[in-house]
Amino acid sequence: MAKASHIRGLQATDPLRLAAARVLEVRIKELFAQARGVLDINDIERVHDMRVASRRLRSVLEIFAPCFPAVEHRAALRDVKSLADALGERRDPDVQIAGLRTFKGAVGRSDQPGVEHLIERFRAQQRAGNARLETVLAETQASDLRGRLEALVEAARAESARREGQATA
Amino acid sequence: MKARAVKHVDPSAPLADGLQRIIRVRLDELHSFLPDALEPTGSQAMHDMRIAAKRLRYLLELSAFCFGQYARTAAKRMKELQDLLGEVHDCDVMLPLVLGEVAELRALDAAAVVGAAAGAQDVGPAMVRAAPHASTYRGLELYAAYLQARRALLFARFASTWHDLARRGFRGGLEHALAERPGPASSALHSASANGVGAGDASEQVVAPAGV
Repeated sequence: MAKASHIRGLQATDPLRLAAARVLEVRIKELFAQARGVLDINDIERVHDMRVASRRLRSVLEIFAPCFPAVEHRAALRDVKSLADALGERRDPDVQIAGLRTFKGAVGRSDQPGVEHLIERFRAQQRAGNARLETVLAETQASDLRGRLEALVEAARAESARREGQATA
Repeated sequence: MKARAVKHVDPSAPLADGLQRIIRVRLDELHSFLPDALEPTGSQAMHDMRIAAKRLRYLLELSAFCFGQYARTAAKRMKELQDLLGEVHDCDVMLPLVLGEVAELRALDAAAVVGAAAGAQDVGPAMVRAAPHASTYRGLELYAAYLQARRALLFARFASTWHDLARRGFRGGLEHALAERPGPASSALHSASANGVGAGDASEQVVAPAGV
């Protein structure tokens, strides 16, 4: 599993909004760095890594919600959730298939047809999940989710600078 | 499960102040699923508690550098709890699915046997050879038994883990760490951690009441 990047330079005394911008910036990069090869059903760790990154990003958007412009934040969070859900739809059958294969290896020959039957069911779910993920990834690109998330970062930074300027004036 | 709203978070306030406020709400949220989650039949409460543990974990990982070693330890405990409840949930989702599959196959086989017995006054035992899924049930039933056994054991582990956390004063310890946080901290002081902002707080002065 991909580890979360260390976020350097944060101070406990930083304004929440400024910290939010910094954390979000890092989590955006992590998410999109995991996108390559995610539709490859022979390499199930890629989708897992991207799912974990999407959860972390979603979590940051939820924790720091008051720090971002409300309308844009709501739309971006909705799309990140949609992406996370699609990654989950693909990931869940991956995990079930792996577990059933282990179980199949542990039981007697006469018990294996039933397990294989279930594996086939999950393979169908895996294919459907992959198709859904492909659609959502295309929507993510078409709607420039990355650009919209980066705009949230910039908006938070600008607002923080403006407030700091007001405070020092 | 929709997260409880956190009121009065000031985006201009210091990071540690804002996170402290949010953590308190998430800590309350985690405890709100008790005692239902500690009942073997409390699947929904356990599921909700898992989501609450995940939210709290991410927050603690993000903010450990502000609140010291106890917050870091608490994040690890939340991950353990989340993983355990996730395994219970997987069993809860899978078991009815497997039993549903058995029921579906049984219905298909019954229809096939009826078809084979067309024109007969009764279904003779030998006609069951026409059942196309006869060899499939056994594995499915065995898998259902495995899931049921695993679920029982995982639930017992979860309950024991939670009671242990409570006995060691998890909630009080975390509240203490939030209230008595060290002086100004910086993530630049810390080495990279597996999941959060930083690890190895140089200013950890919080003394938690018990060693969770």
